[in-house]
Amino acid sequence: MTKTTRVLTVDDSASMRALLNHALTTHGFDVAQADDGQSALEWLQLNEVDVVITDINMPRLDGFGLIEALRNGTRHRDRPILVLTTESSDEKKNRARQMGATGWIVKPFDATKLVAAVRRVSH
Amino acid sequence: MNMMTPPPLTPGLQPTTRLTVLQGQARVSAGPRVEFSTVLGSCVATCLFDPEEQVGGMNHFLLAEPPAGGQTVDEHYGVYLMELLINEMLANGAAKHRLRANLYGGANLYPGMAQIGSANASFAKTFLLRERITLVREDLGGNSARRVDFRPASGLVRCRTVANTLAPEERPVARPVAAVGEVELF
Repeated sequence: MTKTTRVLTVDDSASMRALLNHALTTHGFDVAQADDGQSALEWLQLNEVDVVITDINMPRLDGFGLIEALRNGTRHRDRPILVLTTESSDEKKNRARQMGATGWIVKPFDATKLVAAVRRVSH
Repeated sequence: MNMMTPPPLTPGLQPTTRLTVLQGQARVSAGPRVEFSTVLGSCVATCLFDPEEQVGGMNHFLLAEPPAGGQTVDEHYGVYLMELLINEMLANGAAKHRLRANLYGGANLYPGMAQIGSANASFAKTFLLRERITLVREDLGGNSARRVDFRPASGLVRCRTVANTLAPEERPVARPVAAVGEVELF
């Protein structure tokens, strides 16, 4: 029996979370949601996940802070982290890469490309 | 040497830099002379303003959300342009809890046709509610086109009805598939 891939989406926009949830669940992923980096860290203390998809601009703890916390921790330090953002600057993309992000996806997202990226990094 | 900047002229006497916000765009500025303008039919424009930071922005979207099962969320959709606008505001120093919103447009210009304007207006109001952004003013619905002028640094807005023929053609412009949702794995 194949294990279902579990994805945590981290985005402060409820509308974007709903769109991501729809795009991922219809392709067979098990989706959990957090509304900022802090909520994501709290959820990850108690749960396992295969892939994290995170926005950058969020209150309390932003996407960079989340990447840093996961990479400096132990439990989820090797987890693939995809950044999904409206940001288009190379400076921010390079910062994400240096902090240990696995990939960079520019919003507006294409569901087919997003799903392909999640499948690729989770195997 | 005195390095202080001379006091600004009265804003009303300064020449205005008028920037048009087209369908599918979101623009943000703190420039005291900048004025964002747009003409709306069934489209909706959101004006966001942070009174403490004195920065504002406007978007202009054609449709609310992609249809159920739709594969792509692109810049024609409010759900994307709202986020783009909020993120640009935050990047320019605004705080989400301080944002004040005005909504304009959402007219149904042609009786008997799909009520796209109503759907857009409804989406925009629901979005702000869901994101806990305060809506301070709205001029939505009806069957007339509107012209909206917005001073992002002061939050002042002027909305007038204009001839429907002035409203831009409201039709999605197809983009190359490669341009949507670019993915780069490191």
